[in-house]
Amino acid sequence: NITRAVMSCGQFRNSKAASSPAENYHLARRRTLQVAVSALLTECGFESAEKAAVETLTEMMQSYITEIGRCAKAYCEHTARSIPTLPDTVVALIEMGFNVDTLPVYAKRSQRMVITAPPVTNSPVTPKALSAGQKRTHPAHIPSHFPEFPDPHTYIKTPIEPVHNPFLRDVERALTRFMAKTGETQSLFKDDITAFPLIAARPSTIPYLSALLPSELELQTLEETDSSEQDDQTDSENTTGNIINDDPGADKENSMLPPSGGVPSTKASEDNVIDNPYLRPVKKPKVRRKK
Amino acid sequence: MNRKKDKGFESPRPFKLTHQVVCINNINFQRKSVIGYVELTIFPTVVNLNRIKLNSKQCRIYRVRVNELEAPFIYNDPTLEVCHHESKQRNLNYFSSAYTAAVSAVDPDAGHGELVIKVPSELWKQGDDLKVLKVYIEFSLDQPKGGLHFVVPDVEGSMAERGAHVFSFGYQNSTRFWFPCVDSYSELCTWKLEFTVDASMVAVSCGDLVETIYTHDMRKKTFHYVLPIPTAAPNISLAVGPFEILVDPYMHEVTHFCLPQLLPLLKHSMSYLHEIFEFYEEILTCRYPYSCFKTVFVDEAYVQVSSYASMSIFSTNLLHSAMIIDQTPQTRRCLAQALAQQFFGCFISRMSWADEWVLKGISGYIYGLYLKKTFGVNEYRHWIKGELDKIVDYELKMGGVLLHPTFSGGKEKDNPTPHLHFSIKHPHTLSWEYYKMFQCKAHLVMRLIENRISMEFMLQVFNKLLSLASTASSQKYQSHMWSQMLLSTHAFLKSISNVSGKDIGPLIKQWVDQSGVVKFFGSFAFNRKRNVLELEIRQDYTSSGTQKYVGPIKVTVQELDGSFNHTLQIEENSLKHDIPCHSKSRRNKKKKIPLMNGEEVDMDLSAMDADSPLLWIRIDPDMSILRKVEFEQADFMWQYQLRYERDVVAQEEAISALEKFPTPASRLALTDILEQEQCFYKVRMQACFCLARIANAMVSTWQGPPAMKSLFTRMFCCKSCPNIVKTNNFINFQSYFLQKTMPVAMALLRDVQNLCPKDVLNFILDLIKYNDNRKNKFSDNYYRAELIEALTNSLTPAISINNEVRTVDNLNADVRLILEEITRFLNMEKLLPSFRNTITVSCLRAIRQLQKNGHIPSDPSLFKSYAQYGHFVDVRIAALEALVDYTRVERSATELQWLLVMVQNDPAHYVRHKILGMLCKNPPFTKTTDSALCNEALVDQLWKLMNSGTSHDWRLRCDAVNLYYTLFGLTRPSCLPLPELGLVLNLKEKKAVLNPTIKPELGVSTVMDTPASIGIHGVGMSYTFNTMEDEDIDMETVHDSQAFIHHHLNLLERPSTPGKYSLQLWLFSGKEPPSVEQTMLTMPSTPAPSFSKETTSLSSKHSSEHSHHHHHHHHEHKKKKKKHKHKHKHKHKHESKDKEKERERDNSHVYSNSPASGRSLRSPSLSD
Repeated sequence: NITRAVMSCGQFRNSKAASSPAENYHLARRRTLQVAVSALLTECGFESAEKAAVETLTEMMQSYITEIGRCAKAYCEHTARSIPTLPDTVVALIEMGFNVDTLPVYAKRSQRMVITAPPVTNSPVTPKALSAGQKRTHPAHIPSHFPEFPDPHTYIKTPIEPVHNPFLRDVERALTRFMAKTGETQSLFKDDITAFPLIAARPSTIPYLSALLPSELELQTLEETDSSEQDDQTDSENTTGNIINDDPGADKENSMLPPSGGVPSTKASEDNVIDNPYLRPVKKPKVRRKK
Repeated sequence: MNRKKDKGFESPRPFKLTHQVVCINNINFQRKSVIGYVELTIFPTVVNLNRIKLNSKQCRIYRVRVNELEAPFIYNDPTLEVCHHESKQRNLNYFSSAYTAAVSAVDPDAGHGELVIKVPSELWKQGDDLKVLKVYIEFSLDQPKGGLHFVVPDVEGSMAERGAHVFSFGYQNSTRFWFPCVDSYSELCTWKLEFTVDASMVAVSCGDLVETIYTHDMRKKTFHYVLPIPTAAPNISLAVGPFEILVDPYMHEVTHFCLPQLLPLLKHSMSYLHEIFEFYEEILTCRYPYSCFKTVFVDEAYVQVSSYASMSIFSTNLLHSAMIIDQTPQTRRCLAQALAQQFFGCFISRMSWADEWVLKGISGYIYGLYLKKTFGVNEYRHWIKGELDKIVDYELKMGGVLLHPTFSGGKEKDNPTPHLHFSIKHPHTLSWEYYKMFQCKAHLVMRLIENRISMEFMLQVFNKLLSLASTASSQKYQSHMWSQMLLSTHAFLKSISNVSGKDIGPLIKQWVDQSGVVKFFGSFAFNRKRNVLELEIRQDYTSSGTQKYVGPIKVTVQELDGSFNHTLQIEENSLKHDIPCHSKSRRNKKKKIPLMNGEEVDMDLSAMDADSPLLWIRIDPDMSILRKVEFEQADFMWQYQLRYERDVVAQEEAISALEKFPTPASRLALTDILEQEQCFYKVRMQACFCLARIANAMVSTWQGPPAMKSLFTRMFCCKSCPNIVKTNNFINFQSYFLQKTMPVAMALLRDVQNLCPKDVLNFILDLIKYNDNRKNKFSDNYYRAELIEALTNSLTPAISINNEVRTVDNLNADVRLILEEITRFLNMEKLLPSFRNTITVSCLRAIRQLQKNGHIPSDPSLFKSYAQYGHFVDVRIAALEALVDYTRVERSATELQWLLVMVQNDPAHYVRHKILGMLCKNPPFTKTTDSALCNEALVDQLWKLMNSGTSHDWRLRCDAVNLYYTLFGLTRPSCLPLPELGLVLNLKEKKAVLNPTIKPELGVSTVMDTPASIGIHGVGMSYTFNTMEDEDIDMETVHDSQAFIHHHLNLLERPSTPGKYSLQLWLFSGKEPPSVEQTMLTMPSTPAPSFSKETTSLSSKHSSEHSHHHHHHHHEHKKKKKKHKHKHKHKHKHESKDKEKERERDNSHVYSNSPASGRSLRSPSLSD
């Protein structure tokens, strides 16, 4: 706000909006203000002034400017805007009892002192936020004047190298050992049957079920990866890797088949009565009448 | 050859079957029994049809009625016990001929059958008017051992809750195992099928499901099927179970069935089927012939795929989820095979066994087209090369495979395949391996025909055959119409000639009428002066399994100026061929080199011979000859071929050739191809193994890290931490397959001490340690299994000091690490089982390898527990494989017994078959080695197994025959006691067996006549005996026993001569008293043991005193039910001519006195 106020006074055009000015930058500005106060005193005919008096006047000047800025901002926000305009400042000055009409004359007075521009200090470079990955450009449907996308890591999963869980294997081993200890085991050695305990093989009544159906863990993984971006990420890799040095004849061969049209799900739902004999209801037996 | 020129089909039966009803009204899962009836509608084609022969095995028949009249019948199955149980014969020649005879005696293709029904005399007259006869047979099956398989899991709950199911199965025509029928592929009829099953079950069968009706108590329902398309009985099938039903979302006529809980897998696995349908219908320009199609997935399947009319039965293990990569192409292949057989095999059936090759060939061929379309040309050519290599290896090892055997009218003397230990006259006598190779060859020959006449014509021929059949199928029964649905070799060839106008006679003669493959040896020299390539192509056509090739051959020469095809003529005596070269001048440095496909590439030509413009040469690049080529060219030529030839077959050939050239240049060529992403992944996989072998051969000069390690690191490991593998992502399948293969190949590397390098082992252990599949959308079970295999490959024999006992303490540190991993994997599998238990399978193999290499004590008990029924079938097979290996290495009689008991008792037919197959592949001993295991008891046990123990399963019986052959050879096993007599004449087999311990010097060359054979067959035979080393040679496969059975069965045609039946069983149903026919049971007074009637020993002095030998046999079959009385009676009927052969003698008697071994001489005069 302070800077805005200063800006609105037209004194420090170069100052850049910075939300948190560094300490020395703040001091430099204060020094410049002091110079301005001293110049005004000189203009009024003072030859010297006590430091404390100058300091007090500077403080008053700063408060005054600050008040103009605050007030102008208030007017601006009152009209649902975010950046104060000249009329805002004018209204603020008027409100503070200042005769605005005298300002141009005052500004053009002949005896005014020109203050040299404050030494240009390099405006502090705010360290850029660590950017990860490339920002996405706007898709076609978003007008270009809209804000840029933030860094991708802020809204998608960050690609990271796998963090291997060193305890997983220990857990597995401990678990299987526990299972082995609590149940029947088989051993590969005769001298030390506890050396490499194997959980005993137990026949199952329907062995194909466990062998064919994915385990719950796998199903879980499947769900996770399905929703994840794995395909996205790797698609580009693939297109290069997938080239096979097939004969041109292959294409001709393949073109024999028209692309299979029709999406089954919609088709099925459209004619929702599928006529398949196995879906028909079982008939009641015919009642035979005895003659 | 004398192929039947007659195009019409002649039925071997005196009647024509037009319609059959099969009604199974009770299926009891608890007792595993089935009750039902069949009704056959037949038209007699002769006047006075008085006997009807049908096929039936193991069915108990309660009553037979013909047109409502009770009819007496004989049930006689000579294949139950092939050789009489008291026979002491133990040689395979004898068995094979007797077995062939037994199969022939009931062969439906010859009009025979096990069940002979006497048409009641009241109906004889009807025959004059050729009126229809209805044959009604009530039957039941109790705990069938073949034909139908019951799977009844032993858990709580109702049968449906337990997932109990039953399905039909069999090898070739095996329908007679579950209902009486004419079990021939050439007897077509329409069908009505009815199955009454529990209300919670579904019965899936052939044809259209017309309706399903509850029984009156509402606890059961009856499925009514109608099959209006004429179909052969062997193409009828049934599956009953609590199946989950999935109507195909793309094709509502197609219904899929799977066992409870598997529906999600079924949905995923079948989501692809419609594309196969579309493909076949498109290329054949013909609709799928049946109005519906059903797929049923069952447990404990006999084979992975079996096709029947309008349905196919698959193994449930083909089902998979979307996470499984490796199973997906395999399942799709199985579906495509099944569907191809629907067109050719089910809809179009074969006219005779000799025509089988056409159907197998066509279905294999269109399946190949599908593979090409789906998996690409590279995969297709890779597959063709694989098939060609397979058939070539088999034929060179085992002797030729004959596609179209001709048996000239009963004269079995000219056996077309004397090199085989079985007869190829019937499908049921073939070894399974031979049959698989037969199918493989049939397809390859079909491909050769395509090469000759073009694919377009080929497809036109198929279309023509299908439209003919389809027209015929829609007709009502007319005498010759339906035979259009039967395909014969003759009709096929005729159609080809009509459509293409080309004569493929020589091709057919070479590959179909003749067995054997061609073996080429090629070498070349470049004549600089003439600028000519001098190519020499030699042939080996004298070794077993080979044949001579005369005709064109294509040679492709890649020169600096381009690639050129040359067609050379292989002629009788010309070996050398001059091929003019195009590139005259020395290479132009900047010029690119044009390849066959038009591509132009830069090559580094510095490796070339400066004087020659030849880059590489290929003989028969299109694989248009069934051949093996051994071609010699310089290593740099193979390297150029590998790098620049674009055909995957050429690349694979180059890789195998480079194994012989372990040089840095080969290494570079292989590494380059391995890294090249455009290269076909299977070629790259093959390059891995070649690279490992080359690295081992170069071990002393090898520079840099172990082969493939840096490449693997670059492709699959983290950039920041190269010893840690990236989290798994298998979305690129080619990379996935490479990632799986490379560690396996790397583990084969050996250092100078012949040990697996330490860093390779650590590398693999790290791969296991850091394996992370959490983010992968695919399962890593196959990958982990391969990593275990890699660990297994890294094993080398333990250094053993004084045969110390293997204990935990003296375990090698590396092996300890490996064992840790295997233990963890095997235990984790119990908690989180992997798909098809691939991890357990790999672990079991690893443990066996650890045992074999002496790291851990050799012990079969672990494998025995995993081999038990109740484990997943893949696990069982892996455990059994380990046991078979254990049996051989440790020569363990106990384990051999254990295995053989399982062969006899295991519920899963596939497992039984596999055990015998694995025992043949990895036999505990062979006919040429001595072993303590080889003893009389084992001989008797195996003999019994093939003689009677496997009568319910043709395939298993042939497996047993194979094992017997592997262990003992064709002759009497050497472990049997030597005969006391100096010479035994076995005229049954027309050979004299000499006891070598008595007169070893008799084996000098002699030419002798066998009067005996003259007497019997009127054919003089001479035989030269060369050396003592000669194996016991069979002069002629004898089919006398066949003649014997024929003879006796033919007697049935003459009811006036009772009492002439070798085996007979008259059954009369109910309380009806046996009628007149009972007199037929009169015992002949002078019976002799079966199949030995014509066994004569003419001049043997030892036997002359036993001029008449009478055996009286009365053998009770082991059938449980008292109702069945099997009476075996034997009666010799001599023709008056044969009177001089009075001194007929029981063969077994000879052996009981003098079991013989060793040399065989043909002349009885030797005994003088």
